[in-house]
Amino acid sequence: MPKVCLITSNLTRFNKVWTQVLRHLGIDYTLCVATSGGVGATIQTPQGGLAANSTDLRNYFRLFDAVILCDHAMLLSETAVINYSVYWLSWNAPEDPPFLFFNPHFSTAITESAYNSNFPSDFPIVRPNASDLAGTLYAADGGSPSAFTPLLAGGIEARGACVLFLAENIRAHVMTVCNAHGASASSNVVPYYWKLNPALHSTLANTNYTHRAARNGRAGEILAMPAPPTNSEDTETYGSDCVVAYRYRNIFWLPHAIRRLPDTINLHSSYRLDTLAPMLFWLLYGLQLAGVRPRYKLPVQMETDHPIESFANTPPFNLSYRQQMEALLAKHDYMREFARRTGTAIIHGVRVGGRHRSTSPTYHWQMMYGTGVPADARAVAQQINQLLVAGHREGTTPCGVHDHTAGNFQGGYWLGDVRAGFRRHSGMRYGAPANVPISRGRCCVAPHVLPAGVAPPNALTVQVGDAEMVEWDHTMSGTGDTFDLPLGNIHAARIVIESEIEEMLALGFPDGHCAGHKYTNTAANASGGECYWQALKEFGFRGVRSASACNAPHNTKRVVSNRLWHGFHLITDFGFDLVHPSAGYSRGLYYPDSPSGGDGVRHWQLDHGNDISANWTTSAVAAWRAYRRVVCQGIGNWLFTTAVVLGGFYIHPGAQLMIISLSDPNARFNGWSVQNVIGHPHYNHEVELLENMDAVVRLLSDVLYWGTITDVMDLRERVLEG
Amino acid sequence: MMIAYLGADGQIVDVREASPLPVQVANAKPVPADTLLIATTNLFPTGERDLLGNTGAPELPTLDACGQYRKLIWFYFREGAGDTTYTILARVTDHNGAPLGAGWLTIASGTLPGGANSWNRLEIPATGDAYYDQYRILVNRTGGSGYYLISKIVGVR
Repeated sequence: MPKVCLITSNLTRFNKVWTQVLRHLGIDYTLCVATSGGVGATIQTPQGGLAANSTDLRNYFRLFDAVILCDHAMLLSETAVINYSVYWLSWNAPEDPPFLFFNPHFSTAITESAYNSNFPSDFPIVRPNASDLAGTLYAADGGSPSAFTPLLAGGIEARGACVLFLAENIRAHVMTVCNAHGASASSNVVPYYWKLNPALHSTLANTNYTHRAARNGRAGEILAMPAPPTNSEDTETYGSDCVVAYRYRNIFWLPHAIRRLPDTINLHSSYRLDTLAPMLFWLLYGLQLAGVRPRYKLPVQMETDHPIESFANTPPFNLSYRQQMEALLAKHDYMREFARRTGTAIIHGVRVGGRHRSTSPTYHWQMMYGTGVPADARAVAQQINQLLVAGHREGTTPCGVHDHTAGNFQGGYWLGDVRAGFRRHSGMRYGAPANVPISRGRCCVAPHVLPAGVAPPNALTVQVGDAEMVEWDHTMSGTGDTFDLPLGNIHAARIVIESEIEEMLALGFPDGHCAGHKYTNTAANASGGECYWQALKEFGFRGVRSASACNAPHNTKRVVSNRLWHGFHLITDFGFDLVHPSAGYSRGLYYPDSPSGGDGVRHWQLDHGNDISANWTTSAVAAWRAYRRVVCQGIGNWLFTTAVVLGGFYIHPGAQLMIISLSDPNARFNGWSVQNVIGHPHYNHEVELLENMDAVVRLLSDVLYWGTITDVMDLRERVLEG
Repeated sequence: MMIAYLGADGQIVDVREASPLPVQVANAKPVPADTLLIATTNLFPTGERDLLGNTGAPELPTLDACGQYRKLIWFYFREGAGDTTYTILARVTDHNGAPLGAGWLTIASGTLPGGANSWNRLEIPATGDAYYDQYRILVNRTGGSGYYLISKIVGVR
């Protein structure tokens, strides 16, 4: 098993994402603590405290596949963050491991003479100077400051970047901050890229160097730089001496990866938006560069909720039902092709309930068959359904039940005490006219002490998890199809789930659990609780996507702590639509007249210093800026979902359908050169997320692969702790 | 040289990753405890919240399905010394997982022990057995400077 050495000088500020990612990759690690940030620090290792410049420490490091420095700069004016590491910049023998530095602090503000005298004279990146920012750095992403600091950005407030990886010849949108600086560490902080000394780099690039991490055999290598624009509208350009990642001999100088905060995100926690680590791409890339081959690769997969849905009124787009369905058809055609090409399976949660419990045209069934929908739109919806059924059978678009009509509130399992007027299906075991229990009756939870004669002969034995009980005198459904359904019991769960599966069968699907994946994404991420998990297992499910608060806003349940209940997976949810649910559908990357949360920039809080909103109509580059930030936020959050919580990243195709060009729906974003029906930049969320993530997967081929939800559940079972 | 051992069915089994040597560790007993939660609680804001940061009503459980545990051990490291109170609520559910009734039973409350950068341990309940199904563990910084509270909760059978 590969093994790396992590170094931090502050355990209290050590972010557990570092170790969580390594565990999921099957990479062993040793965490060593530096006693300070100064050059005189002792590195506390299992072999004892070793001086930072000692031969003993150098020999100790040679036991590892790589050494990773976890501490990073906050401001360029700091004087001691990782000064102790300066000696290691000269440990370049073939026996020495690769060293990974992320957002390293090496500014000219460092006053320790031992640091400055030991800093390699041929190091080719200009040391940042807080008094000469323009002369030593490139302000990144428009140069506007983040309200707080980009180094602590989590699931919101991303900074944008498009990076060109030279050896791989791949452009990728990954959140990139090399260093950051502002008046204080907590406000108005600007992200920066580094500036290269071309002469020093030229010398290194022409010097032969032998080390396992030097893939081109030279002492210096530019790994990545800002990608040149692809459209003249995009005026955000950088000099040819601008770099974002560099290899100096066996030293990898990389952008910020994981922030210094005591975040304890892991499989036992529910994540919060502020604890995401959207820049962990650089850790994964660093591990690959260093040749640290993980025991397990991480499967990348995406899900959608509501493959068919529509909106009755769609200002300012004013799309008809048919136009909406045609836009969705194009998206699904693309997604199926993408899954065929890459080997992934894009899970779809079919919005069932429209057959029996709702006549709203937002539902899958109603869009296909409802009389409130024009025939021409129904015909296109039926084409989408056929495409999904075919994809389900071939494995590219597995579909499962997703029922917003089962409970109260916004739908989902057990979202209330009673579902008034519940209408069930006909036939099968729990459908009309079968007279079945709908609520728990009198019961004995210890059947071995039940006196003879108490329970009638028709008593039922019911099992939920470990508990087995005998029940009788149930409330029964009668033979009708409509009744008030108490939701908190296994009998209700069985009726609800069978009703959902019956609708899937009627839609032409062979099952309701994504074929062999035996999974679905629950409506509102409400998986209910034990009785629903038990019933889902009975119907053949292996797992479902679920929020930690699994029946919010009823709020009586929390998923089990390790998200594995009697072998049943409860997959962490992470949604990434360009709209807050309260605003209905997205108005675009940005739209000046959007309601609150009505576009991507508003919803994900990406308008740093108003540099998008203030320039949207006057400067074309604002659209590119918005695009980069949205995609970087999405890819960062998706990587976090993949690598840290082993969860399910999902979107709603319908929520983003208005903002694409109807004449060229699957075109890539191209600023104002390709526009949607209201004359704003076209943006196809599915195309952009999948193609940009594909670039990342191709870049990180040692670490990631396009997989399926089955691969995710398999990996969870390998790495789960007790 | 390949290492092998005699399998239970009398067959010679080569030692491989999928068939490691069947080593019996002397005196080893499984620890009857499970890690239930590891959480960082942001106590820079004031106001009562549970360890997962939930402040809303109705009140979510912090931990669910704990009925098999006799006791919970709450280990925590508090970065700051700001005055903080804690309240531990509990309740039980039926076999469907539904609480028997509304509200919670308070089983412990008080001032959160420990100063800045201190390690601490609380048993839930302090005496006797627990076996509650759900817990809501609340903290509230009532004074001093904000800090992060880092917790690990272990359930003991």
